[in-house]
Amino acid sequence: MKTFEENWTAWLDGQLSGRELAEFEASLPDKAAAEAEKANARKLGALLKSELGAPQLRNEEFFTRQLRERIMRESSGPSVEHEAKASTWWTIPRLLWMGTASLAVFLIFTVFVIRDKNPAEESQYLTQILNARVDPGVSPNATVSMFEAKQDRVTVLWTEGLQSLPADYAAK
Amino acid sequence: MQPEATLAQADVSDLELVTRCQNGDTEAFDELVTRYRTRVFGMIYNMVHSEQDAWDLAQDSFLKAWKSIKRFRGRSSFYTWIYRIVMNVTIDWLRKKHIKGGGGEFDDAIQLKEVEPASKTVPKSEALPHEIMQRSEVRARIDKAIAQLSPEHRAVILMKEIEEMQYHEIAETLGCSIGTVMSRLFYARKKLQSLLRDVYENI
Repeated sequence: MKTFEENWTAWLDGQLSGRELAEFEASLPDKAAAEAEKANARKLGALLKSELGAPQLRNEEFFTRQLRERIMRESSGPSVEHEAKASTWWTIPRLLWMGTASLAVFLIFTVFVIRDKNPAEESQYLTQILNARVDPGVSPNATVSMFEAKQDRVTVLWTEGLQSLPADYAAK
Repeated sequence: MQPEATLAQADVSDLELVTRCQNGDTEAFDELVTRYRTRVFGMIYNMVHSEQDAWDLAQDSFLKAWKSIKRFRGRSSFYTWIYRIVMNVTIDWLRKKHIKGGGGEFDDAIQLKEVEPASKTVPKSEALPHEIMQRSEVRARIDKAIAQLSPEHRAVILMKEIEEMQYHEIAETLGCSIGTVMSRLFYARKKLQSLLRDVYENI
């Protein structure tokens, strides 16, 4: 829904047509006064158009040269906008870079240190320990452990808590 | 810029020149400045009524255009785009000047009934018979009348009556609705009619 001002302006500028035009003209209380006002508005427009013609820009070439020099001057020095952009640009990559570097250091540390501490790699023995009770009726606290060094092809049998050596373990 | 370069670029469209500007070609920008400097200067002059201020504001407007040319997407013509910058720069300047000068409110809020009676605000036409009225005096009267309009009303009336821009172009330039443009035109015309009635009725 257009306001009266909008309709009036459109009517003055010949922008109303058809039903809109008929409705607006019908709503005018004094058509003759409105037509006179329209004529006045057109006279005003003609006056402005004739009297406010663009004044001549003197020294046109100097205008362009001065502008070019200002552009060059501002382009050579870092502008505030550029500094602001640079500041923004540095902050995010710097954070990303630091994050990535920290992660890499952590992974390297984890891989090397934990791998070095792996008992399987650190010891020359393969810790295959057999815990077995030997005849719990005779020796309830007895355990047998076996250590095997594959590299040296040696196996050590370690027994504890035996009250007597079972017949099966006797050296033949 | 060499005259030959200007001639050679005469057929190049604004859009092509803008594309070259976006790649850092200052000569292409020189060509755009050459095309629009007179109109831009004239528009600003009619807003501020001072040649020196119009020169400075035109320089500022073109400089601002150069700095933001990479953001021009071609949705409107370059002419409309540069006018938007010109209007922003000029209206800002007028408002700051008005505040510094301690002026009151502009006439945005003035109602029709307040601007209607020409006899209360304008000297009678008999006091200035058009036979003796010099062109410069007419111009001075018009400038004085326009100076009583708010920056936004000045912009609208000048763009419509001098630049013959369409409502939608004015709206796009000023960043407002078409309805606002039409409403501002209504009040600006009423105000100028009341202030200049004797002038245009005697020419």
